Amino acid sequence: MRAWAASVEEVFREASARWTLLAYFALSSLFILLFALAVNLDIVDGALAGAKLFGRDLDLGGEKIDMDQLVLGFETGFSGFLYMLGTFLALFATAHLVPRLQEKGTIDLYLSRPVGRTKLLLARYSGGLLLAAANLLYLIGSIWLIVFWKTGVAHGRFLLGGAVILFTIACLVAFAFLVGVVTSSTAVSLMVTYAVFFFSALLSAREKIAAAVSSEFSANLVRTLYWIFPKTAELGRATVSLVSGGEAFQRAVGQVDHFAVYASTGLFGLASLGLAAWLFSRKDF
Amino acid sequence: MTPVIEAERLRKVYRSRFGTRRIEALGGIDLSVGPGEVFGLLGPNGAGKTTAVKVLLGLTRPTEGTARLFGTSVADPESRRRVGYLPEGHRFPGYLTARQTLSIFGRMSGMERSVLDTRIPELLDRVRLSDWADVKVKKFSKGMTQRLGLAAALVHDPEVLLLDEPTDGVDPVGRREIRDLLRHEASRGRAILLNSHLLSEIELTCDRVAVLRRGKVAAEGRIADLTAQGSRYRMTASPVDDALLSAFRESGASVERVNGHLVLGTRDLAHVNALVDTLRARGGMLAELSPVRSTLEDVFVDLVRTGEEEERTP
Repeated sequence: MRAWAASVEEVFREASARWTLLAYFALSSLFILLFALAVNLDIVDGALAGAKLFGRDLDLGGEKIDMDQLVLGFETGFSGFLYMLGTFLALFATAHLVPRLQEKGTIDLYLSRPVGRTKLLLARYSGGLLLAAANLLYLIGSIWLIVFWKTGVAHGRFLLGGAVILFTIACLVAFAFLVGVVTSSTAVSLMVTYAVFFFSALLSAREKIAAAVSSEFSANLVRTLYWIFPKTAELGRATVSLVSGGEAFQRAVGQVDHFAVYASTGLFGLASLGLAAWLFSRKDF
Repeated sequence: MTPVIEAERLRKVYRSRFGTRRIEALGGIDLSVGPGEVFGLLGPNGAGKTTAVKVLLGLTRPTEGTARLFGTSVADPESRRRVGYLPEGHRFPGYLTARQTLSIFGRMSGMERSVLDTRIPELLDRVRLSDWADVKVKKFSKGMTQRLGLAAALVHDPEVLLLDEPTDGVDPVGRREIRDLLRHEASRGRAILLNSHLLSEIELTCDRVAVLRRGKVAAEGRIADLTAQGSRYRMTASPVDDALLSAFRESGASVERVNGHLVLGTRDLAHVNALVDTLRARGGMLAELSPVRSTLEDVFVDLVRTGEEEERTP
């Protein structure tokens, strides 16, 4: 436990020293501040009677808009944006953790301690994930609080959307760790993981791709790859659906086999992490 | 005396990525170091010194043979609980201060934060880094980084120290201090395995050494025994003429004139006495005869050269 706590502390100290954490908080805070200052709402009886954006009146067509629906619409749109931003920033902030650990002259210092290699890797992984979770909580939590402060409307689902984003991050960071163990390169880890993110999103249109390819073998290959890779597009939609609730959620439930999406993506993450740990434990340094 | 470091028939073969090339870094070495002993590992570059240390720490897996620390296989991370290691060319995270570095690595060795609160200032004082306790490591000179490395190796008060070039980059005063520190640790019963290119350092610090050559132990023993090997004598006599030197050479001795005296390479004590008899028979007077003790460097160079000659011989 002490070794784990020390490893996690080091991940946070490193993030702090390398400005990753500060830059993330500064950018997030700037965004939050702009949002808080720019939007001024005039709410009468729980409905929006008037609104100002950067001090200018917005034309609402003389109608009163249901506040709950407005907030829901905003949170739904914003959650999709957060899914991309949160995932990309988290990968950027954690992809170096394994390559730096494996650097000559550094790895010896860690492995000469009475900590198993798998434990060491998992401690670093959990440190990276905690860092990503802290970043995500700050951004989502702050927006949620500001929305509540400005409108009096609070949707717990918006916070739950963060859980889906964190799940996606956990699976992709595991893959980045695997690439890091094999290549010892931060740049390669990032590039390959981003590539997997986009490639997986493309595979969500597997049936269209399968129909377009010439042979049955290629079509089956596309379908197989779809089930191997994480379901990044579906998880993005799941985030939005979870936050929006209501119709959008129902539509999404109808389109996506949620259990299969979460289970196969989770398996991808677990397999990546397991393979990373196995390779790391067998490596000669 | 139960050894705390043991290696039996340790062999390590590195293979290239596709297995096309094989390099035997260790060719079946045996090592044994007891408590309170300072053991030096010597050898030219590529002799297998660092590989041996890495195998002992579980950083590299042996191809064959066994290695144990305190009787526990080095494959078990627990074997490293009582071990302090200073690697060559180590790189501590530059964003940590000296205090944070020792705290993190101390806790990774299982120490409690409260114990470290008193241990760290003591250690920093011991390695003369007290004034730099809260300065980031990236601002440290090489010598300071080395001293911090030593403090990190000692932070959990280990019973075995494995040190790879501990005085690298350290000034002469610092070297002396490190030597004293190591001797102090040995006097407390700590076993120390020292890996260094600096033969003078080894000679001053170690009780016993092993010379590695191409992954094999070429010589092992106490320094006094290794340097006493060979039968070289310094002779001061008169008169010394060419006829006398020829007579010495004919008896099988090697003769070298050095600053007014002779350095004689002999087979044994009887051969030395025979040379003295030859001198006297020719009317010479013996003024001085003393054995010449080799330095560790002489022994080392002889062993390395002998090895090179053996390899050249078909």
